[in-house]
Amino acid sequence: MREKENAVITSSNPNYPTGTVITGKWRNSRFVIQGVLGSGANGTVYLVQKAGYRERYALKMGNDTLELQSEINVLTSLQIQQKQKDKQEGIAHRPYLLEVDDYSERQREIPFYVMRYVEGSPLHWFIRKRGQEWIGIVGLRLLEKLRDLHQLGFVFGDLKPENVMVSEYGEVELIDYGGVSSIGRSVKQFTEWYDRGYWNAGSRGSDEGYDLFAFAVLCIHLLHGEALRSAAAHHLPQTRSVADLLTLVQRSHKLKPYAGWLTKAIRGEFEGSDQAWNLWKQQINKPVFSKSKPSDKTPRWLRYAFTFSFLLLCVVVCLAVWL
Amino acid sequence: MKQILLITDGCSNMGVSPVLAATHALEDGITVNVVGVVDYGTIGEIGSIEIADIAKAGGGISRIVGTQKLAQTMQMMTRKTVVQTIQQAVNKELKHILGGSTLEDLPPNRRSQVVEVVDELTETTPLQVALIIDASASMKPKLFAVEEAIRDLMLSLQAREGFSELAVFHYPGRHSGEDAIMNVNWTSDLGKLKSLFNRINMKGATPTGPAIMKVIDFFRYGTLDEHQAWRGNSDEGEGKRGDYVV
Repeated sequence: MREKENAVITSSNPNYPTGTVITGKWRNSRFVIQGVLGSGANGTVYLVQKAGYRERYALKMGNDTLELQSEINVLTSLQIQQKQKDKQEGIAHRPYLLEVDDYSERQREIPFYVMRYVEGSPLHWFIRKRGQEWIGIVGLRLLEKLRDLHQLGFVFGDLKPENVMVSEYGEVELIDYGGVSSIGRSVKQFTEWYDRGYWNAGSRGSDEGYDLFAFAVLCIHLLHGEALRSAAAHHLPQTRSVADLLTLVQRSHKLKPYAGWLTKAIRGEFEGSDQAWNLWKQQINKPVFSKSKPSDKTPRWLRYAFTFSFLLLCVVVCLAVWL
Repeated sequence: MKQILLITDGCSNMGVSPVLAATHALEDGITVNVVGVVDYGTIGEIGSIEIADIAKAGGGISRIVGTQKLAQTMQMMTRKTVVQTIQQAVNKELKHILGGSTLEDLPPNRRSQVVEVVDELTETTPLQVALIIDASASMKPKLFAVEEAIRDLMLSLQAREGFSELAVFHYPGRHSGEDAIMNVNWTSDLGKLKSLFNRINMKGATPTGPAIMKVIDFFRYGTLDEHQAWRGNSDEGEGKRGDYVV
């Protein structure tokens, strides 16, 4: 929502064509642009290849040095803590942030950083393509990511389908850390629909419940999008409320399996993301979920066929007896 | 930190130039941001230029948006201005310490420390935002959205660690001597921002400049009435507040 406007204040950078070589001013690393991955809150992300290597990375160029550095600070701090955690647990550490540098072009300095490339599609595309039954497991993994972030003292803030990447095999990664803020501070960046304040459901302060609320609206969006759209549009802003969302949750049969969890998240009743993760896990392992829907009725044609063959048998038997 | 956020939908047509008024505000350490609200049609070339000029003179940002985008725009502008103001101050310090270098000149690893300080100050610096609402006749259908956007802004300010408060004014006044009317005095309470504009008598004139001058006084003295007494004091008043009447 707020994102594109920033570009007006700080002149946005041009999109560089495929083949452009980006050379870092401080470290002299060279990256060859292979395409644009997307334009985010405060910059453009390119798919790049480090010159002389096969590995592909994502390179984010910022429109504003301060904003980008703020994001880099969060990533660095996450990385340091993750590294320690991985060491304790004996897991090989896979760095997320690889390089931070500036690109000098026509007397302009464009700050950038290079990160791990997450191949996949945004959450809403993934669900559209693969089916809504994937929400259970993908949701669980997303909650896991949020829980990890919360444990390190941060809140994601701008949680929306576009900021969640899902790989072919359902692995989940959060992308765009521009809206991340320390727990206890104000939420830096948000999108109306998923914002607790927009629904008059609580403050815009960074706490675990803020992300869980956004997660709940995200589920409603993915499973019952039209209803959410009309709820957001039809109410006057000051009457827009938690009750609207709860009504949606109760009425939709698609949301029913998740209703218990969603209600708690919307009301802000979770103690933290750990509890929320556990409940989600319990919920998706309930029989309602594992029950696939084999058609319990015998198809009609089969019944007719059976009747027909039975009658035929009778006739044959009768004939045999008679003869 | 002090900010004025002017919400208007057209050109000023009475009294001191709003661009001059904004220059005075900046001199007093008050940054002036301007939002032009348009739902149908455009704001006109002259109006757009004036809006941009007021913000430039007041060291702030200007935007022209529809009522749908008003809340998020106001929120973004306020935050952005806080960051900019702090960044300017920090850059000034940097120049002082390092002789001529700014944030952009530092290598990334040192930049990170400076940005940490900026982020910290952005969140914790006390902040006062005075909203000045153009309540001329054409604004009437938009006032509901304006009120909602003000509440939304308060919600964002409340989440800050630093003490933040809002005050709301509208103009023109009920008679010619009244440049601005206060709707809400400094507050951090969301509850005080209900039905702000119910009893407003809408008029045609748009004395934007005088309204800004009045609110500068409010920043100085904490009241709108003080000005009368202050103007009587000739040796101070004349230089700072010219009574330019078009």
